[in-house]
Amino acid sequence: MTEPRNPMPPRALTHDEVVDLAASFVLDALDPDEMDAVREHLATCREPHEEMAELGGVVSALAVSVPLVEPPASLKERLMAAAAADLEGRQIAADSTVLEAAAAPVPVTPERAVERPFQRRPVPLRAWALGIAAVIAVVALGGWNLSIQRQLDEARQQLAEAQAYQQQVAAVLDAAQQPGSLTAVMRSEGGTGPSGLAAVTSDGRARIAMRDLAPTSDSEVYEAWVIAADGVPVPLGELQLRAGGVGYLEAGGLPTDSGIVLALTREPGPGATAPSSTPISVGTATSG
Amino acid sequence: MSEPTGPLSLRAATVTDDADRAVLNRIAGGELDALDELYERYKTMAFSIALRITNDASLAEDVVQDAFLGAWRNAARYLEGRGSVKTWLLAIVHHRAIDAVRRRRPTAELPERDEAPPLALRLPDVWAEVAANLDAVAVRDALAALTDVQREAIELAYFGGLTQVEIADQTGTPLGTVKSRMRLGLLAMRRVLSP
Repeated sequence: MTEPRNPMPPRALTHDEVVDLAASFVLDALDPDEMDAVREHLATCREPHEEMAELGGVVSALAVSVPLVEPPASLKERLMAAAAADLEGRQIAADSTVLEAAAAPVPVTPERAVERPFQRRPVPLRAWALGIAAVIAVVALGGWNLSIQRQLDEARQQLAEAQAYQQQVAAVLDAAQQPGSLTAVMRSEGGTGPSGLAAVTSDGRARIAMRDLAPTSDSEVYEAWVIAADGVPVPLGELQLRAGGVGYLEAGGLPTDSGIVLALTREPGPGATAPSSTPISVGTATSG
Repeated sequence: MSEPTGPLSLRAATVTDDADRAVLNRIAGGELDALDELYERYKTMAFSIALRITNDASLAEDVVQDAFLGAWRNAARYLEGRGSVKTWLLAIVHHRAIDAVRRRRPTAELPERDEAPPLALRLPDVWAEVAANLDAVAVRDALAALTDVQREAIELAYFGGLTQVEIADQTGTPLGTVKSRMRLGLLAMRRVLSP
């Protein structure tokens, strides 16, 4: 019998116990604690466990024995909508990370702060040239200090806006994860205008988060609409606008059929009962 | 693209898996078209497994969507390892379906599980890659060649989502016997299916 090299918690399994459990493990016929215990053992045991590959290969063959049944076409739509929403979330997170990096002060590490004794040694020509370039850059940076400060302020502002949008997207994703919810990726024609995410819960409540909204003038508003099978746009309300082109809306009373369309228009004033122009961003809400 | 089925050939399995890995590479880069391609390639098999286990079309749809989303999110992590993409993907479908069935049971108490299938299904076992490309008839014949009690134990575990203890309870068989039947049954199938 071979024990794992490192001491394990009291539940730790021995090599032989894992061999004994191999068939149940590859068939997923252990309870979650036992599955974890086997995984822990496999991660630390130095002895080979050929039986796992030997039996696991047969299990993968079992999968092909089932009678084939085509999934409904709507499943692909749901999957792709969910993946698109996931991708949108990743891009938002990436945007925030870049902006955070731009806005964060440069840390001075202890290593950098330590004075090192001067050491005379040959300086390669390339390093010397780079040194001169660095000096020029430092002088230039000094001259541009105010400009940099302004850029940092702008970066912080953009970060705050991105974080605001991220919070609103998080609220949408919370709704999207509820059972029976519909999700929609809001896109503009050509992909250069406002975009965002929307979710409609099974009780007909919608959350819509948008970004890249152009500034409005006077009494202009961004109005959200829902269009069901009858093709008639029904107003949902005005988006609450935040700085930086971010907008958010929560509304109720929506139909909950997969395939309903959510749209956004720019209206001359509040209270529109029918769109006055073509939508600037549209998404189809599908289940998933 | 149709789902690959074909002769019992390591070469065919390798070519298929190379193509799958190329698609998975693009998925790791965030290409939605690549997810579409992977889905088209394995949607029928994935849905069929999920439906066979859950016996509920709506639940099977949720399982398949979750599994492909898991592949979408974890493609980069998978690419760090080795093994058949198809085996990995279908193992995710199987685990998700088993989880769904167990959650549906009134006594089920299951924690969230990560995407990773059992380590064994990710091991670079050449035979596993070949086995994943077997046709359904050959596998059904291999199952039919087992003793009734071996087949029952394997099917209750793999398709029924029962744990070894639950199989022992349900069949009135000692736990050790259940383990033995599953192991001997799988080994017998391997012998029948081996090239």
